[in-house]
Amino acid sequence: MNIYQPHLVRISEIVDETPDTRTLRLAFKDDTLASTFDFKAGQFGEYSVFGWGECTFCIASSPTRKGTIECTFKAVGKATRAMRELGVGDEMGFRGPYGNAFPLDRMEGASLVFIAGGIGLAPVRCVIWNALDLREHFKDVTIVYGARTVSDLVYKRELAEWQSRPDVKLWQTVDPGGETPDWAHEVGFVPPIVEKAAPAAKDAYAIVCGPPVMIKYTLPVLAKLGFPDDHVYTTLENRMKCGIGKCGRCNVGPVYVCKDGPVFTAAELARLPQEY
Amino acid sequence: MRTSTISHEQLAALLADLVAAGTTVIAPTRAERGHVDYRPVSSLAEVDLGGAMPRRSLKELFLPPTEPLLAWQYRQDGVEISEVATAFPPRVVLGARPCDAAGLVAVDRVMDWDYHDQLWFGRRAATTIVSLVCSAVDSSCFCRAVGLAPDTTRGADILLRPTASSFLVEVITEKGEALVAAHPNRFKSAPEPLVSQDTVDRAGSGPRAPSPAPLPLPEIRSWLETHFEHPIWKELALRCHGCGACAAVCPTCHCFDIVDETEGVTHGTRRRNWDTCQTGRFTIHASGHNPRADQTARIRQRVMHKFAIYPAKFGETLCSGCGRCARECPAGMDLPEILALLTTLATAPAQRTEVVA
Repeated sequence: MNIYQPHLVRISEIVDETPDTRTLRLAFKDDTLASTFDFKAGQFGEYSVFGWGECTFCIASSPTRKGTIECTFKAVGKATRAMRELGVGDEMGFRGPYGNAFPLDRMEGASLVFIAGGIGLAPVRCVIWNALDLREHFKDVTIVYGARTVSDLVYKRELAEWQSRPDVKLWQTVDPGGETPDWAHEVGFVPPIVEKAAPAAKDAYAIVCGPPVMIKYTLPVLAKLGFPDDHVYTTLENRMKCGIGKCGRCNVGPVYVCKDGPVFTAAELARLPQEY
Repeated sequence: MRTSTISHEQLAALLADLVAAGTTVIAPTRAERGHVDYRPVSSLAEVDLGGAMPRRSLKELFLPPTEPLLAWQYRQDGVEISEVATAFPPRVVLGARPCDAAGLVAVDRVMDWDYHDQLWFGRRAATTIVSLVCSAVDSSCFCRAVGLAPDTTRGADILLRPTASSFLVEVITEKGEALVAAHPNRFKSAPEPLVSQDTVDRAGSGPRAPSPAPLPLPEIRSWLETHFEHPIWKELALRCHGCGACAAVCPTCHCFDIVDETEGVTHGTRRRNWDTCQTGRFTIHASGHNPRADQTARIRQRVMHKFAIYPAKFGETLCSGCGRCARECPAGMDLPEILALLTTLATAPAQRTEVVA
């Protein structure tokens, strides 16, 4: 099998997260692979609909949940629109896992602060479940999640679950004007809500994912709260084709996002040219 | 290194032997309008041994401009994928430019970077490269500038060095050794004394210009690593059309795209096609955000990748000094000239800053 050839996966479940965002649960067609496939939180893959091409997303499910993988996507391009046309039982291609991962080993024994905006919760959700499935390995778990409007919040069932868990502090927020009359949570952009939540920086790591503008204004807040920039992690979402360091597309300064990333610390990010 | 000689007659006979045995022999040939290209040949008479630079590099023999990665077929109960072959029939390249052979080694590093590209290396393994010491340096050539030479053995399995009456045969690799061993009667083992580099430079015919002296590549790299922002990038971009001709003819540019091409309702192929960082859509995100939105960023990327990014990863330069980018550029962009400018900046930055300001 050459390195560009995908595994066949079958859609076993479809969840519409928002009007334009969908989650697919994918089961490997090959039984051996289904039982042996392993990855680390933060890694990504190349998903494809034959005839429409490949697209790159993180694996949104946790590596602690074996047997299937999940991806969450918006239909914005040719391949993602084709993916949206597929139904349960249809077959797709998947190559991966690729790239580095969030170093959960390094974070063991520490508190975790997850900060996400919009569909940026997908890669973070993978780490959240990974951490919650190993809950005793970590101290406090805080999640700050925001979207433009209430209907843009993804993983709503899981948000409800995290909200009700005593061992998780969840802050949900929507942008001003995005709230509904019965919205019982925060209204405001993510960075000020992070400031309000004020998670303790001592022995803590932050994992931040979302639109560039959210990341841009969240990093100074974390710095102000006392998070050292090598305790703040994010993922870059550059355009990719091969995913394995050949095609040259995701090269940003000295790094290839697909091989050296997609996970970077804020300290590493600060050293990169602004080409992401 | 084993050295022997081969006469023109025996070289012609060797080529005929290979072709007769079903081996594809690829060599520089002069085609219509005087262009020289690497093409399959059946006799030495077709081969241009004068040292003229083929228009395109050897790259396309290993990374074709377009090639299938897999084929799919939709069936009643799902998708069926057919693999593409990763084993290839034997080939010999006769009369490769040493800079082209050296360029392949640079791409080898990328194609073997943790993930081993079986399509690239399948063709590499099947191909024996017989380089011919370069005897026709033109004003765009700059192999010496990037630390190579007209007789570099890098990437060659065998190096032929022309002498007055025949060729000295330097066997470089086991693959080269196998070619000689399979055709013992074609080679004469009594070696003539090795000619010096000076003799080589005088030996050929054709246009003549001194290949630029070796550049301070480490200094250029350090300068690039600290000058992501500098007026030179805008200056260069103002001349660049962003057409990507430089990347197409480059022996080391290897970026590609992966696309699906349907060949009917139910089947088609996934292909990889050459691509280049010089076009605007290369880096555009699904959101519409484009990290390299203008030519200033894109021309910088090309120079940075070759002389800073790749060297940082693989310890070498992603350029073999063939000069094709300078020859083919419709806007007269000249990489040797750009490198000379970078050398000035890297070694005397104060002076240049004044000029720009």
